[in-house]
Amino acid sequence: MLRMEIALFLVLAFVAIVYFSAGRRHTPLHQTFSILLIVVLCHLVFDGITVYTVNHLETVPRLWNDAFHRLFIGTMILISFLFYQYIAILVEEETGKPRRLDPAARVYLAIAVLGDLLLPIHYAVTPDGNYSDGIHMIFCYLSVVFYFLLGTGLLLTNWKRIEPKKKMAIGIASLVELIITTLQAIDHTWLISGMGITLITLAFYLILENPDILRAELTEQKMSMLYLKSQVNPHFLYNTLDTIRIQAQLNGDSKVADLLMRLVDFFRLSVKVDRPMVSLDDEIELLEAYMELMCYRYPTLRCEYDIDPELGGAPVPNFILQPIVENSLLHGLKNMGYRGEVRISAQVSAAHAGCMEIAVSDTGSGFAVGKKEAINRMLSDYAKQAPKLTGSSIGILNVQKRIKLLCGRAYGLSYTENEGGGVTAHILLPLGEESK
Amino acid sequence: MKKLRVLLVDDEIMIREGFKRLFDWEAHDCEVVGEAADGMEALTRIDTLCPDLVIMDINIPILSGLKVIQLSRIRHPDTAFVIVSGYDDFSYCREALRLQITDYILKPVNYEEFGTCIDNLKISRFERRIAAADEPEAREERAITGLTRYVQAHLAEEVSLSVLAEEFHLNAQYISQLFKNEIGVGFLAYLTNIRMEHAKKLLLSTSLSIAEVAERSGYGDYRVFTKAFKKSEGVTPSQYRRDFLDSSAEG
Repeated sequence: MLRMEIALFLVLAFVAIVYFSAGRRHTPLHQTFSILLIVVLCHLVFDGITVYTVNHLETVPRLWNDAFHRLFIGTMILISFLFYQYIAILVEEETGKPRRLDPAARVYLAIAVLGDLLLPIHYAVTPDGNYSDGIHMIFCYLSVVFYFLLGTGLLLTNWKRIEPKKKMAIGIASLVELIITTLQAIDHTWLISGMGITLITLAFYLILENPDILRAELTEQKMSMLYLKSQVNPHFLYNTLDTIRIQAQLNGDSKVADLLMRLVDFFRLSVKVDRPMVSLDDEIELLEAYMELMCYRYPTLRCEYDIDPELGGAPVPNFILQPIVENSLLHGLKNMGYRGEVRISAQVSAAHAGCMEIAVSDTGSGFAVGKKEAINRMLSDYAKQAPKLTGSSIGILNVQKRIKLLCGRAYGLSYTENEGGGVTAHILLPLGEESK
Repeated sequence: MKKLRVLLVDDEIMIREGFKRLFDWEAHDCEVVGEAADGMEALTRIDTLCPDLVIMDINIPILSGLKVIQLSRIRHPDTAFVIVSGYDDFSYCREALRLQITDYILKPVNYEEFGTCIDNLKISRFERRIAAADEPEAREERAITGLTRYVQAHLAEEVSLSVLAEEFHLNAQYISQLFKNEIGVGFLAYLTNIRMEHAKKLLLSTSLSIAEVAERSGYGDYRVFTKAFKKSEGVTPSQYRRDFLDSSAEG
């Protein structure tokens, strides 16, 4: 018996290490599970100790025996309560109904713990092994049954409104609790409560609390934060900026008015996210608005365009040039104190028939050693890259993914180094039907 | 020619002030006769002032700009409407076009370019006047109708003041003055306007290539055409056609 408790303890200790080392959101549900894990581990320790003490009634002093037994039963009652609590929070999260049974559960917990500490303990001695019986033991069973009924009651009354996966977790846990308690009640010498508790904890862990699920939750939360951040009403933005622009113009400050006009242009063009493809002209217009503002902020910055006018109507994926130019500015020209030039060219590709190439070339600081290979490797393995939420490469990776998705795998983005310093981004795109 | 009477409708005072003070109304033979800050006020002002032109935001309190147009159409069929909106959304645009507005412009308004909008209005008013004149002989007598008819018939060709002068045996200076007096816009503005109207019609009703549309609208070089089109319509010709196709495919 002792060996089984040790094995169970090791299994759950491993689970606890994995669980606590994974990042997770701090929700009441996860907090409850964390507490549950710790209490179960303590319980298994006391379980092991009592298995030894109860069978050595003659050598272990009665006081020690009682103390460990009360701790063992106390943690078991606490675990029953935490199981119930976990189910209750789960149901609340799913249905949005307040946890009305909580006060009753807490009051009962106080009574049960008091009973555990005060009621007399009696040990039954049998040839198969010793165990405790009498009023103290019955009280313990009652607690388990009480919380079991509360939990299953909650589950059944909200059956239709709970996600199947969560129903399964609660269902398995309840079933295990029922079977183990019944078996334990039939034969007191089996001492399998520790196994039952471990199984229930494992069921919750495997179905609802494993690191993959925790990570997915975290990512989802960050994504929705990013999404919420971008929810500025564009109408509000244009109108406010326009009001400021008109005031500037009324004050006779036409420079400020012009800059605001460009800023509004930039926003107006960049929120057209609903359209996957735009004409090259639109894309260049957005870039011009962006670069005019940047060149005003950094007067040493220059920008040159060399666009084949025949390509003006060619369809290109929306919003691909600005992230690349921004990348050139932040990683190339910023290191030069924004002294330098960005050159954007769009030509029919000489090397690839039926393609056009857009090149964004800068006179910046160029790649650090090995950086070019790292970026090109990331771009060619674009599909394997985990969705990153931070970092500078997210912009160009996103551009790469969209080009591959919208135009095909043959097209895309790559980087080369310039002879005279700086880097060039090459975008290879199909020549659309409207580019004649 | 008498001045055009203009009503400004926008719930933001700054937008109205901008229109009033930053656009040269005098130079375009216009006069701002009133302002309104919501749809209800706009309706009342239209009734009392009978303006020739209402410049109006769509998104205004109490009654939307589109509703104001609908309600005032019956009593004031000759009032022209120009919609100004921050919503860069073609569905609004379509709804507005269904109400036969004169023009649809996007905020931020470029006051230097707003003049084109007024010119377009004058040209369409002129064309309506011609169509409404009931005696055909009287129409014939007027030199301006002959001139405009000639221009319309020879859109694809090189038309200039000197060509017209030769064709009609009139002084070029005189013809230019005639356009200013009768229509209220310069000859070049008139020519650009009807060329654009023609190009738009071709873009939406035919499948001619952009280069062919450019040629039939009198632009030898289609890049010049694309630039001019973009300046007057805000989008490139291909975009204009695609927007229309997209929106008719949606519903």
